[in-house]
Amino acid sequence: MKFELDAVLIEERCRSSALAMSVVSAVAPEVEVRYVPDGREAARPLVGVRDPFGAGKRRMVVMERRAPFLMGCPAGSSEFACCGYLVLLIASNCPMDCSYCFLQEYIADNPGLQVYANYAAAFDELDRLGRSAPGRSFRVGTGELADSLAFDTLTGISRDLVEYFARRENLLLELKTKTDEIGNLLTADPRGRTLVSWTLSPTRVYESSEHRTASPASRIEAARRVLEAGYKVGFHLDPMIAYPEADHDYGELIDNLFDVVPPQRISFVSMGGLRMTPALRALARRRFPDDPMLAAGEEVLGRDGRMRSFTPLRMRLFASIRARIQRRAPEILLYLCMESASAYERVFGTMPATPAALGTRLAGS
Amino acid sequence: MSAGIVESRIRSWAEKRRLPKAHLGRWLALAHEDRVALLETAERLRLRTGQFVTALELLDEIALRDRESIAGVLARNEIRRILEGTGSAPGRAQSLVEQLRVACFPRLKRTIDRLRTEIAALALPPGIRVVLPVDLSSDELRIEIRASGGAELERLIGAIDRHAAGLRRIAEMLGGADEV
Repeated sequence: MKFELDAVLIEERCRSSALAMSVVSAVAPEVEVRYVPDGREAARPLVGVRDPFGAGKRRMVVMERRAPFLMGCPAGSSEFACCGYLVLLIASNCPMDCSYCFLQEYIADNPGLQVYANYAAAFDELDRLGRSAPGRSFRVGTGELADSLAFDTLTGISRDLVEYFARRENLLLELKTKTDEIGNLLTADPRGRTLVSWTLSPTRVYESSEHRTASPASRIEAARRVLEAGYKVGFHLDPMIAYPEADHDYGELIDNLFDVVPPQRISFVSMGGLRMTPALRALARRRFPDDPMLAAGEEVLGRDGRMRSFTPLRMRLFASIRARIQRRAPEILLYLCMESASAYERVFGTMPATPAALGTRLAGS
Repeated sequence: MSAGIVESRIRSWAEKRRLPKAHLGRWLALAHEDRVALLETAERLRLRTGQFVTALELLDEIALRDRESIAGVLARNEIRRILEGTGSAPGRAQSLVEQLRVACFPRLKRTIDRLRTEIAALALPPGIRVVLPVDLSSDELRIEIRASGGAELERLIGAIDRHAAGLRRIAEMLGGADEV
């Protein structure tokens, strides 16, 4: 997959960085390359355009990150049964355009597609993390505020990350993506310390809502290939949209997945329901006025201020897909994202582990 | 009706009802036939401002999900029956909003109806109220007891105890243990 850019803006202080040079040498010749004094300004929304968020996706800003690279998952909350996921921020925003994406609201004030030239500084933070709790394992991902692989042919960052993590016993890298950009991964040796995960949706959701992403079949095929190359793989059924045919479609998706990727070799599958704040929903509806999936799941407002499919509908879909998965893969590690402990108990019949315990299990999976 | 006349009538209705600008803007941004259908509905049923805003929200959701125009939704039999009915305008306005809500949340409506049937079948004594979460947005079931004096309280607690299995079934249904 190749994503189109209108411009690459490089912060002056990053002009001679390896990342900037890699991008400049690989970017298509028709793409404007400019040097700017402050990447933070360049990442702000363009004024006078109809869709500043969408425009941000076409403007790559190579810049220095001034804040820590490592943070807790922004979705984490004591209200939810969390998975202990840690986020490594090496980029922000994504060239794909899913109608339901939370980034539309979360980074509305700086939608430029930022890539951090000083990402190697993150390795110090990761070293400190690894030393901080001997005996505990951590799963660290780059796919929360960006797609981990979308621009990997331009940046080549994945190779450095895979090599770093290959030498760390208690750190697992998760590269989360909706692309099939795995070329660089196939040339590196992960030594079991990198997991590549794909967000998967049924074809109906992909066609309606996941613009410029790889098709579900391409994602599954890419997973098969990285598995053969020595990577671990995981899958996120997230967001699951409870439209009337969802049960059938997600079940079929699971069958398609397990037909290509042996279920016993899948590290985990997560499930999460579509959740949107009313503000995000309004934004999404404005940007994608013809996407029926944005109104298909009978979403109602919950106590945490987010709209989700009403509870019995959502729980029933989770339980049904859980059963479908476990019929073919009884041992597979499953968990829910952004759901309460009681939801977890209803779907799995047991109370969830603590975030630290689940995090360690996932990191060792 | 020409576009100019429609717009002028919409603006006049909005001014009379103090419709917030944002909602007026959304109304005016609709396709001509949708604008007209909504105007005729608002005028015929003398919708209050809140009812209009709710109706517009629901119509917008239904139209998007079912890939139908707002005029098309308003022309559905069950809606037309309300619009062309003989009851009072305020009563029909309320029915319209309720019917749109059913059309927007059909599975939610079915589930709530089933839960209410289950609750009614328990025939709990007065003084015990089983409260479902608003819009079934959580899985929490609330049971309220209102008693005057220890003896009544004890009697009501006993009734809850006798109906524990039925209440438990309702709590399970809230968690999805039933066809939706």
